[in-house]
This record gives sequence, structure tokens and C-alpha cells, in this order.
Amino acid sequence: MKPTLPLRMLRTSILLGAALTWSSAQAAPGTLLRDESLRTQPSATAAVSGRASRGTGVNIITRQGGWLQIQTASSKGWVRLLSVRAGQGGSGGAGLSDVVGVATRRSDPSRVVSVAGVRGLNEEDLKQAQFSQQELDRLDNFAATQSQGRSHASKAGLVASNVPSLPRPQSSSNSSSGPSNSSWPEN
Amino acid sequence: MKLKLLIASISLVSFSGIAGGFDLGKLLEDQLRKNRSHSESTQPADGSADTQTNKSRNKDEALAFGLFGKYSTQDEIRIGKQIAGNLLGAVPLVRDDGLLRYVNLVGNWVAAQSGRTDLPWHFGVLATEDINAFSAPGGYVFITQGLYRQLNSESELAGVLGHEIAHITNKHYLKVLKKSSLINALGQAASKKAKSDDQIVQNVIGNGAEIMARGLDKEAEYEADRVGAVFAARAGYDPWGLPAVLQTIAALPPRDERTSLLFKTHPQPEVRLSKLGDAIGDRFDRLKGKELDNSLYRMR
Repeated sequence: MKPTLPLRMLRTSILLGAALTWSSAQAAPGTLLRDESLRTQPSATAAVSGRASRGTGVNIITRQGGWLQIQTASSKGWVRLLSVRAGQGGSGGAGLSDVVGVATRRSDPSRVVSVAGVRGLNEEDLKQAQFSQQELDRLDNFAATQSQGRSHASKAGLVASNVPSLPRPQSSSNSSSGPSNSSWPEN
Repeated sequence: MKLKLLIASISLVSFSGIAGGFDLGKLLEDQLRKNRSHSESTQPADGSADTQTNKSRNKDEALAFGLFGKYSTQDEIRIGKQIAGNLLGAVPLVRDDGLLRYVNLVGNWVAAQSGRTDLPWHFGVLATEDINAFSAPGGYVFITQGLYRQLNSESELAGVLGHEIAHITNKHYLKVLKKSSLINALGQAASKKAKSDDQIVQNVIGNGAEIMARGLDKEAEYEADRVGAVFAARAGYDPWGLPAVLQTIAALPPRDERTSLLFKTHPQPEVRLSKLGDAIGDRFDRLKGKELDNSLYRMR
């Protein structure tokens, strides 16, 4: 779908606006999800430069692999990616993936879309849906074989490795794989 | 349908309330046996007897799914195809052939790490700005164009697809269907209304793609996060793809209507981040996967 000229201009101006915001602020808000030690490098063996407790509001400066560099009121350092919740959690944010993703990469104009006028996929649409053989056939046409998948991976330099399964954390008491105790979906 | 669900919920409450004193499975099994002996005794003496027996057997097999959750890979695919076709009736695929080809290549490679090589995997991108992803039994995985736009690398795509693949390999939707089909099977056994396999599948699934709007229990979502992140890591991707996408979603404006269905059917992102963080700890520290930020297909 090619945007019309005014829309294209709008996108450009949004993009420029966003770019200006990034260069002036270069940080996105976040909240610590657990008590954490801030480290001087993105590594569990790096020296500790400070500590912050769960619930502390932080500014996320950048991301490197599984680590985020954050700034609190009193210190600056690296914490694990999953120790922070990006965004402002309820009050709306300029965050998006500015820092988590885009800050270190080039921007893609197609990411900047106007939210106005976009109608979401709602429950009613799903309930009323009529089976579409035509779209299902189209889906079939694009299915890849295992060898095509392997070939894609090898071209990209991806090597399969034997990563062990993650254990269920102790804190969660029930699993969906056991007898389920979930309530019947409300309707 | 509303009435049916209401009956379903009342029935479940009452069954659990008198658990031990009442065996639903036994009741249905008896009904099944009665059905079978009835159809055998009423078979005509001509050549159509075999067809009749087969029909009756098929129906019994479908009922067995409802009763005991027994199903073959073929059943799984048939159920998934019906759900996928219904979903595609609500929202079609994007008209970007290159994107559809690309997502299938990445998806197939990630799915190859799941151990379910018996499934014909299908990956689709849905033409909606809503931010979400879906899966159906039998290897059907969908990501919306809206969510795709939020991705920064192929490793993030692999993480999202990994999460959906995990719902399929861990049979999360089949478990939901088993619960509802138990009730449907009871109705069918009593009324003998269902005339064909397809109709039984349809009855079990319900109308449209409403199962997609119902969502799974929270533990199933946390499990899919853990399993999906590992599938992507096994495929050689940077293991932080899925966590990065969860962060992106967490940072979206809270009342963004593009995420209303996602947040209705999934736990809040901060809880998912926290639970996944508990599970990963330092376990991914030594992994050296590829992010492939330049390989991500740019949408037309």
C-alpha cells in the first residue's frame, strides 16, 4: 500500500520529530522489576557501581544483548534486560522501542504509523468470522519446506545449538501442562 | 453460543463441586457404547452397512476427542485448519508475497528446533495494524502486520514465532478445546445432531475464530515465553529477541487500541518480563546467537 503524498509528508514529519526527541533526550523511561546491582559493564562479573530497589523509576540509556544501561537519580550502570520494564506503565510513554531497539540501529520509516483511524481486530470480528478457503490456499502456497528453512539459516550463518529447556521458576505454583486449574473463560 | 457457554460454565462449576461422586467420563463412555450398539443393531442388511459402520466409527473417534482428549496428528491439523480458515476470514493475509515467503523460512527453521517435524508448518502475516500474534493446532502461526512493524531484527521475529510455536508444541489450545468439547460431546451424544466429521470439528471449535479472542490461561503464556525463547536460541538466534519484543510492547502507550485484544488475552507485560527474567537468570549469559538486524525483511 503506497501512502498518498500528504500521508508521506506526515510520516516524514513524525519521523523527524521522533529523531529530534531521541537526540535531545536519548533515554526512555522504565521501572525496575526487582532489586538490582548496577554494574560498570554489561556482564554479571563486572564491578558493582550502585544499587537500586524494585519499583525505582529509571531512564534507559541503551541496550546491549541481554543488558540495559540505566540511570537512576543516584547512579548509572548496567542491569539485566528482564530486570526492567520499559515504558511508564499506565501513564503513556514516548518510549516505544527507541532505546530497546532503534537507538543502535537505523530507523525504518514504515515503523512510524499514524494510530488515528486504525481500527483494531476486535472480539466481535473474530466471532463473526467466516471460513476463508481462498486465504487458506494462499497460506498453503507460501509454506516452506524444512530444507528451504535450513538453507535460509545456513545463508544467514545461523547454527543450531543444544540449548537446554528453561525450568519453571519456583515462584509460579501451577503449570498449564499439569492438571489445569484455570477458570473457564468469561464470556 | 452465549447460552451454550453459560451452560458450560455452570456445568463445570457443578462438576467440580461434586467431584468424586459423579464420573462424567464414565457417563459419556456409556453413552458412546449405547450409540455404537444402537447403530450396529439398526444397520440395513444391504451393501451400505460398511459405510454406516465407518460413519459411526468416525463419529465415535471424534467423540473420543471430546471425551478423553485423544486425537491423532491428522485431527490436530484438521482442527487447526478450521480455526486458521476462520481467522483468515476475519482478517486476510498481507498482499506482500516476499514477506510471506520470508516469514515461512524463518518460522520453519525455528519450528525445526521444536521436535514437531510431523506438522506441516504454516506462517502468515495478517493485514491488520493490531499488535498481536496467534497460533492454532496443527502448525498454524500468524503475526499481525502491526506487530511485525515493531520488530527490529530477525532474532525478534524468531522470538515471537517461537512463542507461538510453543503454544502448538505444548498443545495449549487443544487443552482449551478439550474442556469445551467435553460439554459439546455430551450434547452430541445426547442429541446425535452432528452428521459429519467436519460438523463435529466445527461444533468442538465453536463459531468463527472466537477461540482466538478467549485467550489461554496465564501459565500457558509464561510457559510459551520460556519455551519460545529457547526455540529461537536453539535456532542460533540471539536469545534476547522475545524479551526485547516484550519490552517494546510494554513501552507502547497504555490505551493504544492496537493492543486492546493482546492485553485482554495475555498477562501484563511487566509480569511476563518478570517471570521470564526469573526463569532465565544467568542461563543465557554464555549464548552467542545472531541478532540479524539487517536481515529483517522490510515490508512493502
